[in-house]
Amino acid sequence: MQCVAVDPITVVAFNASFRLEDNGEGMKQGVDPDDLTRPFWEAANLDRLVIQNCTRCDRLQHPPARTCHQCGSDGALAWKEMSGRGRIYNYGVVHDCPIRLLQEDQPFNVAVIMLNDDPGIQMYSHLPGTPVDDIPIGADVEVVFEATANGQKVPEWRVVAGER
Amino acid sequence: MRALISFDIDGTLEEGDPPGILTIDFVRETKQDGFLVGSCSDRPISAQRAMWERHGIDVDFAVSKHMLADVKSRFTADVYYHIGDREDLDKRPAEQAGFEFLWPHEALAKPWG
Amino acid sequence: MARCGGGAVSTSPAPASVYRVKEGLGLWEHRGKVAAVGIGHSPTFRRWDGTPENSVGGISLEALRRAIDDAGVNPADVDGLVMDPSTTTGAFWPRGKPLPWDSINAYNRTDDPLDGITGLSADWILANSAELTGIEFTSYGVGCMSNAICVAAQAIGDGRAHTCLVLKSWHNLEGRYYQGGANAGNAIPGSSAIRSLWGTPACFGTAVQFAEYCRKYGKTHDMMAPFIENSRQNGLKFPEGYWAQHRPEEITPEDYEAARWIAKPANLFDNDLPIMVSAAYLFTTADRARHLKQQPVYILNHATSRTRPRSLTPTLDEVEADTARTARKIYEGAGITANDLSFENMYDGFALFHQFHIEGLGYRGLKFGEALDFYQTDISISGPNPVSPSGGNIGCGRSRFWMHTDCIQQIQQRAGARQVTGVKPEIAVSGGPMPVGGNYMVWSATPGS
Repeated sequence: MQCVAVDPITVVAFNASFRLEDNGEGMKQGVDPDDLTRPFWEAANLDRLVIQNCTRCDRLQHPPARTCHQCGSDGALAWKEMSGRGRIYNYGVVHDCPIRLLQEDQPFNVAVIMLNDDPGIQMYSHLPGTPVDDIPIGADVEVVFEATANGQKVPEWRVVAGER
Repeated sequence: MRALISFDIDGTLEEGDPPGILTIDFVRETKQDGFLVGSCSDRPISAQRAMWERHGIDVDFAVSKHMLADVKSRFTADVYYHIGDREDLDKRPAEQAGFEFLWPHEALAKPWG
Repeated sequence: MARCGGGAVSTSPAPASVYRVKEGLGLWEHRGKVAAVGIGHSPTFRRWDGTPENSVGGISLEALRRAIDDAGVNPADVDGLVMDPSTTTGAFWPRGKPLPWDSINAYNRTDDPLDGITGLSADWILANSAELTGIEFTSYGVGCMSNAICVAAQAIGDGRAHTCLVLKSWHNLEGRYYQGGANAGNAIPGSSAIRSLWGTPACFGTAVQFAEYCRKYGKTHDMMAPFIENSRQNGLKFPEGYWAQHRPEEITPEDYEAARWIAKPANLFDNDLPIMVSAAYLFTTADRARHLKQQPVYILNHATSRTRPRSLTPTLDEVEADTARTARKIYEGAGITANDLSFENMYDGFALFHQFHIEGLGYRGLKFGEALDFYQTDISISGPNPVSPSGGNIGCGRSRFWMHTDCIQQIQQRAGARQVTGVKPEIAVSGGPMPVGGNYMVWSATPGS
């Protein structure tokens, strides 16, 4: 599932459950950007992480919405580039996944990442390169961009070297 | 040749929810024929045991759905079968655990003797 | 268009102003002036069997008629209907599959052929309930029975209805939960992808909240076993429930700890089972209730949480802040304190968040982080501290209404084998679903002073 270049020997040493994608199996579903989220996905294709921001409140919000959750404005929302740094806040291990394309890779990690730019903003991650159910909570992570089944890139997160 | 047969319950056995096409007598006969026999189901293990006890079948194991690998490590056999009705919850984990997988209709058609 | 007093009006979701969302509203203005006087449940089924009588429309009619009969009122005297038009457990009619015309045509249909099959409008109910000749008020409480109860209670208090049916129904079809549709495809819309691209099952958010809870308070997943065992035992004493009707299986601590993970630390038995079922209640004014067949159970308050989590999933801090806020609203509007609760019936349709609800309530003096230790004590229906005497969704299958039925039946002393014996059932609280975002009500044997 995880679209990263990792030494296969290292992977085996981590955990037998973790395996590299092969022939596209286990790849994330593709994404069809819609009006609300298109800037997020277009930025991802350029290896940039942007989050919706209310310029009136100077407050980030994610997932994107039509209006600011704080002031209700629909005209003050803009996209703001993030540093691409965060930390692992929490995680679970998915053993029974509703997404067919991911079922071959069960069990797999899903971590909740909090952005350094604003810890109130969360993103999910499979934590490519991190063994299943062996997550360093609190560790620093950095964004990487991973191609999905239709070529659309999505933000993923990797533990920063030296954090384990 | 010693063989082990693991039965899913729901959707596979006549007692299942929904009922499957394999009868309890089918299970009883495999046991009488000398197979290692048991159940591997999402039902509580205590409920699986109670079901077999109710039918007077002294099964060799009753385990949760993800425990086929444990079954294989506990019992020595030449071949291990799991019979179930789900691609994701029966076939895939059975094959990952080194079992041969059979759909219920395949199990009915197979010459077990 | 619904038939209302011989005319026709459309039914709309209740306005947001109906729900008591804010703190500081004081006593509910209709405290003790609305009462539950009838209960009707349909049989339960794991999935629709394709027959008209067991369609979601069919079982809804059965529940409504049982509630009216239970209350002993003339159907023509019912002037209100509040319900949830959504009935899905996650199952939708597959695209391209032929429509079930035999079942559709077995009833008076509306413009939507799947009305009564995979959804339920007030129009459909009224088109198939010739006996309900006096309906003047209809409204949707969208979401759960808990929403519908708030709307109906407020409507009666406000004088918009006098004798009101409250209905919630669920349909379930073939196939695994949420495994079809977009989840089986190769691409999904961008808005959905923000959350669902990572393959999290429905219980994931609760699972990670529970994981944080365990880390913060030094608890472990196996400490949930007594709660699960107690819930299933109570559910098996609920003759209207799925497990009691179809598969009377207990869940022992050994069973619980051997269950497979869904999203670790949430396992199979921390999740409820989607089923088909319908329930209806009959509410009326306190004045009228005193003259009906059943002992009135008075509503002292309804309260709502509409808190929006900051991001993808509420943090433990957000959960605890909101359950505490919800409790303050519940108690303020009802004019009670935690000490007045005879028992609690908060939602459990993921088991791993029940403790958030009852810690927020301060049930039996619980503080945050203490509920799992509390579960190791006597939480049975015969003890002094009953927890989830209904058995909830874990004990009875997914409906999100067992807790309300149980509160009414316990207070009426007609909960049968499930009747609490270690406490006198006088005041109880129920509601949900989520600890952040739900609707709650306080039930009482008396209208309060």
